[in-house]
Order: sequence, then C-alpha cells, then structure tokens
Amino acid sequence: MEEFLNKNIKYIIAQYPEVGKILERYNIGCTTCSVGSCLLKDIIEIHNLSPEVEAELLYEIERVVFPGKEVKKRPLRQRAVRPQGEIKYSPPIKKLVDEHVLIKRFIALIEPLCALVDSSKEPDFGLILDCVDFIRNYADKYHHLKEEDVLFKRIGEDLDIIKVMLEDHTTGRNHVKQIIEGARAKDKAWVIEHLKGYKELLTQHIKKEDEILYPWIDRGLSTSDVGKLYVEFSEKDASLPDDFQKRYQDFVKQVEDTLNKRR
Amino acid sequence: MHGHGMEGCPGSRMQDFRDNKETKGDESGKRASELRQWPIQLHLVSPMAPYYQKADVLLSADCVAYTVGDFHRDYLKGKSIAIACPKLDEGQEVYAEKIQSLIDDAKINTLTVMTMQVPCCAGLVATAQAGASQAKRKIPLKSIVVSLQGDVLSEEWVS
Repeated sequence: MEEFLNKNIKYIIAQYPEVGKILERYNIGCTTCSVGSCLLKDIIEIHNLSPEVEAELLYEIERVVFPGKEVKKRPLRQRAVRPQGEIKYSPPIKKLVDEHVLIKRFIALIEPLCALVDSSKEPDFGLILDCVDFIRNYADKYHHLKEEDVLFKRIGEDLDIIKVMLEDHTTGRNHVKQIIEGARAKDKAWVIEHLKGYKELLTQHIKKEDEILYPWIDRGLSTSDVGKLYVEFSEKDASLPDDFQKRYQDFVKQVEDTLNKRR
Repeated sequence: MHGHGMEGCPGSRMQDFRDNKETKGDESGKRASELRQWPIQLHLVSPMAPYYQKADVLLSADCVAYTVGDFHRDYLKGKSIAIACPKLDEGQEVYAEKIQSLIDDAKINTLTVMTMQVPCCAGLVATAQAGASQAKRKIPLKSIVVSLQGDVLSEEWVS
C-alpha cells in the first residue's frame, strides 16, 4: 500500500476507477481534475481528514487495490486536525478569499450573458470585451498574480497541487484569448463556448482553493509567515490605482443591472 | 477540579487544581529561557527598542506565563514580548497608544494577544484592537485564549 500512496492519482484512478468513486464519496474531487499529478498520500494529507475518517478511507481504497487480500484498518494516525465546519482563514489568505467573492459574482453572470449573446441578432461584443477586461485585470492580473508572484512561490511551485492551480490559470488565459478572437470575428458560438469553458474552470478552481488549498496552506503558515504574506499582498494592492477595487465592483454591478433589465 | 466558595467574579474566584495535577510530557533536561529583552511590562517598554523592530510581538496577560507549561517554547520563542494586566494595571489609556506605536513606528510584523479565559482578560484583546485600529499600518492580529489550567481554548486571527 505504501507504494500506492506514492503514486499519482491519475494513474490510480485509471487502474482502479472504483477509487475515484470512493474519493468522491469523501468529497475529494480528484476525478474531475485535468492534471491528476498529486500523489495519493498528499491528497489525503491536504484534505484535513480526521484520523478516523482517514483510516476508513485508506481501508476502502486498500480493499479495491488488493482484492482478495485480507485488509486490516490502519491504526489511527494521531496529529493535529483543524475542527471541521466554518473555515477560518489567516488575514492574507482571507484577502484572496474575499477577492473570490467578486469573481464569483461575475461568474454567476456568464450563463445569462451567454443566453443574451445567443438570442441577439447583433450581440454586444463590446460588452464581451469589457468582461474580458474584468477577467484579465481583476481575476487574473490582480488576484492570480498575487498567487503566482507571492503565495505559490512561498509554498513551492514544484508541489503537485500548486502545479494543478497554475495549469488552471494557463487554461483560463487560453479561454480568454479564444473569447477575444471570437468577439473580433463576431462569432457567437466561439465566444459562448469559451465563456462557458472559463466559467466551468473558475467555478471548480475557486472551490478547490477556498475549501482545500487555502486551508491547507494556512495550516502550514507560521505566525511570522502570515505577517510577511500580509505585507507582500498589501504592497501589491498599494501599487494599484486607488479606485481599482471600486472600478471593478461597479463594473460587475453594472453588468448585473444590465442583465436583470433584460430578464 | 474543585471549586471552593467565593462566587462572583470568575477572575478572582478561588479554585484548587492540586488533586488533578499529574505530570504530563517529558520533564527531563533543562529548558533555556526564550526571553530576549528587558523590560517586558507594557508601561516600561519602548516601541523604539531594537528588539521590536519588524518583530512578531506577543502581548501576554500577566497570568498566562504561569498557566501555560511550555509558554517559552511554544509561544515566546522567536517573539518579542510585552505583558499587562487589563484588570489591575493603572493608566491603561497609554496601552493603546503604545500598541499603535509598535505597529506604525516599530513596524511590527504581527501581534499575538494571549489572555486567560476569565472575562476581565478580554479587555487586553480590546485594547490591542483599539491600538491596531488607530494605527496607519494594518497587521495581522491573533487572539489566543488559555484556560486556568493552561490548555489553549481558542486560537484565531481577529483582524
């Protein structure tokens, strides 16, 4: 079993699809991950399972991987486990979670926006490009670069879980390029396909970060690390125009109002 | 734990822990002090002192160090400290100003406030928050509350 704990999850699920179903039952969503390079042992570690739940999960996996073999439950691994329930973030990580709130408000607009584009004889591609400006400047330049330039460098860009997040960022940027190309070509289907692709990607990405990655990062940060991260994030924020936050909050509100009027 | 008489203020109610004191943990070896400064009382310290500059600072209620067995190893190590009693100290109006100065002038990295579970001790967290809210810089502020027998009851970032 130790050998399996050191294998990547994509390989394990390909060999034993039942393991993917077991992980889903434990709310571990590796089956939908496009990369799957995380090791099984890291996946178990990162999800902050209680010792009892961890032992039960490993027992179920071991029975699938070694059918016919007598499998015994492992002794409980005693370690500090954060209480389940409401997630409490350190101040710098909370900043990132708070930025997700506006991005999620924007993501919620993508379906009605696609419906509007689809039903219009002459879609407002200018509005689409304004949305691209939000994605590029707020979601990507402001938020994702804070992760890429500061947080992920501190945590370790070589870690599999970080590689998955970076790959999500790259995939998101590719969707944005396609949205721009589609808008320039005035091709509704092209724009809609990649707007929806971006929506699906970011919805899962934010869920992974808020519920799994950020709490895991927080568990490993020392008090001193928290202070240093806070300073670095604050310096990034201070380098932006004073009205940056308000400008994009106003933009999302304006799109919400526009779409509400058309409903 | 046996409680004896003296109802009223939980901060001064008599309690006797002798019967349930069994030694826990490794008692071997001699622990070195993690204190790296003097003075430590909040009235006496200067925010300009070199050991506060860009430091992670621990603001501890007086009783905490007597309560938490491994206070030095687990909480003081790597930090600069100030101590105060929010119940008995006089002239506490300057405390918030000192905290503001630690944040703005000494540019401390973080502030961790350790208090006892007794209600009067929460005043120290309120003082720290008041000082932090007056400061121009913003820093992470953590509150750790310990029980009368030294167990950590809560540990959370409050701003």
